[in-house]
Amino acid sequence: MTILCVRFQLPPMCEAALPELLGLLEEFTPVVEALPPDGALADLRGAERYFGRDAVELASVIRVRALALYGVDCVIGAGPGPMLARMALRDARPGLTRAVPGGGEREFLAGRPVAALPGVGTATARTLCEYGLDTLGRVAAAPLSTLQRLVGAKTGRELHERAQGVDRGRVVPNGVSRSLAADRPFGRDELDPDRHRRALLSAAGELGARLRAVDKVCRTLTLTVRYADRSGTTRSRTLKEPTAHSAALTRAAYDMYEALGLQRARVRSLTLRAEGLTPAEQASHQLTFDPVDEKVRRIEEVADRARAKFGPRAVMPGSLAA
Amino acid sequence: MPGFTHLHTVSGFSARYGASHPERLAERAVERGMDALALTDRDTLAGAVRFAKACAGAGVRPLFGAELAVAASESGAADRTETSVRRDRRRAPARGGAFVDESAPRVTYLARDGARGWAGLCRLVSAAHTAEGTPLLSWADNHADGLTVLLGPGSDVGRALAAGRPDRAARLLAPWREVYGDALRLEAVWHGRTGTGPGSLRLASRTVGFAAEQGVRPVLSNAVRYADPGQGRVADVLDAARRLVPIDVTGELDSGEAWLKDAGAMRHAAERIVESAGFRRDTADRLLEQTRATAAECLVDPEDDLGMGAVHFPEPHLVGAGRRTAQRALASRAAAGMVRRGYDRRPGRRAYWERMHRELDIIAHHGFASYFLTVAQVVDDVRHMGVRVAARGSGAGSLVNHLLGIAHADPVEHGLLMERFLSKERVVLPDIDIDVESARRLEVYRAIIGRFGTERVATVAMPETYRVRHAIRDVGAALSMDPAEIDRVAKSFPHIRARDARAALEELPELRELAEETRREGREGGRYGRLWDLVEGLDALPRGVAMHPCGVLLSDASLLSRTPVVPTSGEGFPMAQFDKDDVEDLGLLKLDVLGVRMQSAMAHAVAEVERATGERVDLDAVPEDDPATYRMIRSAETLGCFQIESPGQRDLVGRLQPSTFHDLVVDISLFRPGPVAADMVRPFIEARHGRAPVRHPHEDLAEPLESTYGVVVFHEQIIDIVAIMTGCGRGEADRVRRGLSDPESQGRIKVWFAQHAAARGYDAETIQRTWGIVEAFGSYGFCKAHAVAFAVPTYQSAWLKVHHPAAFYAGLLTHDPGMYPKRLLLADARRRGVPILPLDVNASGVAHRIELVSEARRSKGTVWGLRLALSDVHGISEAEAERIAEGQPYASLLDFWERARPSRPLAGRLAQVGALDAFGANRRDLQLHLTELHRGARGGRGDQLPLSGGRKTAPAGLPDLTSAERLSAELGVLSMDASRNLMDDHRTFLRELGVVSAKRLREARHGETVLVAGAKAATQTPPIRSGRRVIFSTLDDGTGLVDLAFFDDSHDACAHTVFHSWLLLVRGVVQRRGPRSFSVVGSAAWNLADLLEVRREEGLEGVAARLAAAGGSQEGDDPEGGPARRRLAGSDGRPAPAGSAAQDPMEQRRIRMSTGYEMHPWADLRPAGEGPAVGRKLWHQSPGSAG
Repeated sequence: MTILCVRFQLPPMCEAALPELLGLLEEFTPVVEALPPDGALADLRGAERYFGRDAVELASVIRVRALALYGVDCVIGAGPGPMLARMALRDARPGLTRAVPGGGEREFLAGRPVAALPGVGTATARTLCEYGLDTLGRVAAAPLSTLQRLVGAKTGRELHERAQGVDRGRVVPNGVSRSLAADRPFGRDELDPDRHRRALLSAAGELGARLRAVDKVCRTLTLTVRYADRSGTTRSRTLKEPTAHSAALTRAAYDMYEALGLQRARVRSLTLRAEGLTPAEQASHQLTFDPVDEKVRRIEEVADRARAKFGPRAVMPGSLAA
Repeated sequence: MPGFTHLHTVSGFSARYGASHPERLAERAVERGMDALALTDRDTLAGAVRFAKACAGAGVRPLFGAELAVAASESGAADRTETSVRRDRRRAPARGGAFVDESAPRVTYLARDGARGWAGLCRLVSAAHTAEGTPLLSWADNHADGLTVLLGPGSDVGRALAAGRPDRAARLLAPWREVYGDALRLEAVWHGRTGTGPGSLRLASRTVGFAAEQGVRPVLSNAVRYADPGQGRVADVLDAARRLVPIDVTGELDSGEAWLKDAGAMRHAAERIVESAGFRRDTADRLLEQTRATAAECLVDPEDDLGMGAVHFPEPHLVGAGRRTAQRALASRAAAGMVRRGYDRRPGRRAYWERMHRELDIIAHHGFASYFLTVAQVVDDVRHMGVRVAARGSGAGSLVNHLLGIAHADPVEHGLLMERFLSKERVVLPDIDIDVESARRLEVYRAIIGRFGTERVATVAMPETYRVRHAIRDVGAALSMDPAEIDRVAKSFPHIRARDARAALEELPELRELAEETRREGREGGRYGRLWDLVEGLDALPRGVAMHPCGVLLSDASLLSRTPVVPTSGEGFPMAQFDKDDVEDLGLLKLDVLGVRMQSAMAHAVAEVERATGERVDLDAVPEDDPATYRMIRSAETLGCFQIESPGQRDLVGRLQPSTFHDLVVDISLFRPGPVAADMVRPFIEARHGRAPVRHPHEDLAEPLESTYGVVVFHEQIIDIVAIMTGCGRGEADRVRRGLSDPESQGRIKVWFAQHAAARGYDAETIQRTWGIVEAFGSYGFCKAHAVAFAVPTYQSAWLKVHHPAAFYAGLLTHDPGMYPKRLLLADARRRGVPILPLDVNASGVAHRIELVSEARRSKGTVWGLRLALSDVHGISEAEAERIAEGQPYASLLDFWERARPSRPLAGRLAQVGALDAFGANRRDLQLHLTELHRGARGGRGDQLPLSGGRKTAPAGLPDLTSAERLSAELGVLSMDASRNLMDDHRTFLRELGVVSAKRLREARHGETVLVAGAKAATQTPPIRSGRRVIFSTLDDGTGLVDLAFFDDSHDACAHTVFHSWLLLVRGVVQRRGPRSFSVVGSAAWNLADLLEVRREEGLEGVAARLAAAGGSQEGDDPEGGPARRRLAGSDGRPAPAGSAAQDPMEQRRIRMSTGYEMHPWADLRPAGEGPAVGRKLWHQSPGSAG
């Protein structure tokens, strides 16, 4: 029980506060993995010895500091591995840290539904439940070969191990978030394709600006359309080259949108998500002989500077200004 | 100022387009000083008859027309194909579906030259509906005589003008002119819109200018969609519902101007239009004059030209008359029937002959011989097909019908009267209804169409109108409300009229929560504010049309020129656009061919008996006095028997204790709202059991009243009484009887009755008392002919239940005729000792079958079991079921998979319910094997053979289904708890609570307070005599049925729970009315499923906490306050004592019927909730449940 899974209770839309809170954790250990938008995993193996307290006590310290410094409460789960820490987190509440004791993994898992296991998605969970393997205890008891017949060789083996409480995961230190999202909700059922495109244009512009602000490029763009009945459609597209160029993002977003061919669908929101973020300096860029591309990028640079100076609405496409 | 005639007006019959009923339009036209009004509905003439009647009543001249979508002519086709190709290339939407295509131009047609115009109109409408998809009139069909054509803003010409292309408009006008010549008009419409689109001033003036230039006469119209100003919002909702999109508040909404404007407003419009077209202002007079002249030309008389009031029968040669007249043919067939049935050799043959001749005279008097021959022909054809057929209704009272083989029961023997059906005094069309097997009803339709041809036969339409639930759904969707929220709101309403939505919110206890929410929202700015306005605005507007389930029109060859006929969506039957009342007004002969599921069920039972035992049962020949059958009926365990299975009927047969066929006839007649309301039940039962003397007002009346202990039960008795007392003859007496339901004529009849009876020498007191009877029961009694026709299948089904129970249940479960869910029938079968055999792919058939379980041993006799059917498996297709049944037997799972080729989900379901248990015991392992077989089949690889040891499959170590999971699977897949009753699993908890089982309840004494529990089987709120709303519900707990009644003092606490729960726990007081008749008056109800959950999770303490919390609101009803309430039960007899219950707002809203009988406004509605509990909803879903 040396891994902590911390979930900060941030007010919505305050993703920006996460890096500071991660800094707080890094005072205890350098091995901190961010779980955007509001969580983190921390490996306290060294810290326990250094501070002379065990993980649960450290958890209290972390909570007190987060409250004192940032006024943010947090919920903490502790366990021998990242998976168990995450699962423990679900039982925890502010002020009560849930810890999975070493050696008690199997008992901890046995009564839980399969869907609670990280890495078991709805599809796998449905398959397992269909065959009566609805709790992790039953999964652990089932023969490995049967599990592999059910969900495939690799998944089956992993599932079998995890259900036994074998947690092979590690905390991998990383930087800030690996994806960015821009959400455009509509106030009513929106059918008008023009307004949809306008929303996409502004979302892609926002994503581009945010990426450029942190000097990142994205490899993949994902469009999620939410409908009035709360269902959604998701489409993803890998870009030709990793980029933060708004025009390229917009083009990709439009392509995905057109491919849906929506007519009467009652759209309640459009979300664009930039995924696979990598540092901008590592990105390659295909040069062309067309001077237009070059110009557009330079204008974007200028516009970014203007925005930095006069606010985000200082420069924007004409169709959005109306 | 002279009136204005609106030439372009649509009513609500233009589904999801027009917002006012034809009656309202006619009414407003008169109020606004118009003397003529056209009705030009979209693609339909369905409103024409109602409109004609409304106009006749209001004093307006009706004009008839239709607005049709018209395909472009060849010359204009070039552009159109271009656009349509573009549309086809559009990508299929990933979600939400494609837009509704409304691109076809629309043109208004008005019938001009009487019958010729009407026929042309009918033909055009019929032709438009032959198009695939939405109605579209092809250019080839676009010609007719006697029509005036209005080319308005929606036509291709109007669109070209709107686009600023007068050249194109001129080119498009040419083909129209070629076809319609002088009858062509250009229609200018001004709705105050800006721009050049439809309804704009610029388009209107362009139209007028274009008309002058082209030498076509212009007319002015307002393209009316609703009667009154301010209904534009409703039109928006209708548009949204039609296009299946939400209202786009930023887009173009209805102008709000398309109402039935008066002459002044239209004159103003005319002036604005001509001025902006560049003419002098007085040119407006010319425009109005042209409009008036066009209206004046359109002369179609509803009586002469629509054929209202005339009668049209199929030609005699089609109904077997050959070259003789129909009357001659009828007479000879009747005489032949007399000989065939042997009535000419009976002692009372004179009576038969006389009656036959008298009836033939009446028929000849009206000229209805063809009608009788037509029906006889249909019945003969149906019988030749081997379909069970029976006549019902008053037609059974005619001896001629009996002789022709239409009616089964002998009217002379049963004392049925011809006059109730047809007499010289009666001028309306008689109707004969025939019942056929429901499963083969469409076959029968096809046979009738085959016999008479599509030019003479059509089914009848049945408009579906907006009621509250649909209105809420459509308005909510139009207003972009959350679908889940709309669903919740809509489902919480009972099936009431949309216009009562707000009143119901105020008054119904089960809607209280919703009402409070509405009020809260209303204060905060109104998410619901507009909703209720619009919901009420949609009230009773037609929203679609379906085929009437039983009416078939039979006419001569002129049918198609008198009614528009469209194909039905499913089967493609020809269907007249008029509904059943309209066709009667139009003088079209309607034959009701009802599909009766019980007939199908009995046919299946008989077929099963024959298949399994070789014994052939002739149901029509079973003895009418089988004591075992009556014993069963008297025990009131009549679940599944035709007509006597409802809770009320079970109660009634328990009290009435029928022992002869006549008793059954009386029983069926008594169980009608009327007799129950008029308190005929109690005196009858008292007299029958000798507790009250049989009384007659006069010994002359003893004969008609004898058979029913002096209580008037049948219409026939009233006819006889009136005929005897006044000597007026039965035909006249029947007319008098009909007049009794109208309070005005009742007064006149009273005087007339007293005069004539006095003249016949009856004393004043006798007359007084007789009149009392006639007045009280006259309008309520039941037609005995009906009752006799009903009692035949009632007796037959009861006989089957007693003598072939397994086959009987097999029939019931296959054709599901009753009011109860199938699982209840299954429970009943289990109670009656019929072994239920589980589903098995090697034994089950497509339909339910019977199987020999044990041979005759000792005195027990052979026991037949009921084998469940494949067709009950959820999601099985007919083809799959047949394939499985054909391939039997299967040696192994692989064999089954390869030969029966079930779909993967279906195979999984079969495994879950144990249909594959023969191939390996563990159902989950079977599932896994199936999945792998499926994968193997898909991937084309067979590298892993999942089978070992041939027949059985190898175990895979998965946990098998637990017993609870098996039951859950049965409920989910078969909607039946096949292996045991689902309540069995809750026994422990019910014992803890001290719940009384249905079986033990029979011994409970009157007035005892008990707890009962069970799965809800049926819930009704029928009208009862005290005018209160009572919720009746039936629970099934495995040992029997418990009938519950909730009176309105308990509604606040119980109504919502009772309507919206599947498993109920009820506290109530036992009410006894006889040895076999008892019910429980509920005072508190809980959702048992919730309590079970609490019991499982929190133990008994949790249950106690729950009961304590809920109990508070249920206090205030002491069981001893019972007598008053008991009296309210209606069938108990005495009227409710005044002031027994607190005055509530209902008092003012009671529906007072003409006869003084009061009805609760919300009675007799299908209640909210989703009917009886079926399927998996009865079962908690544990996370490990199968599937």
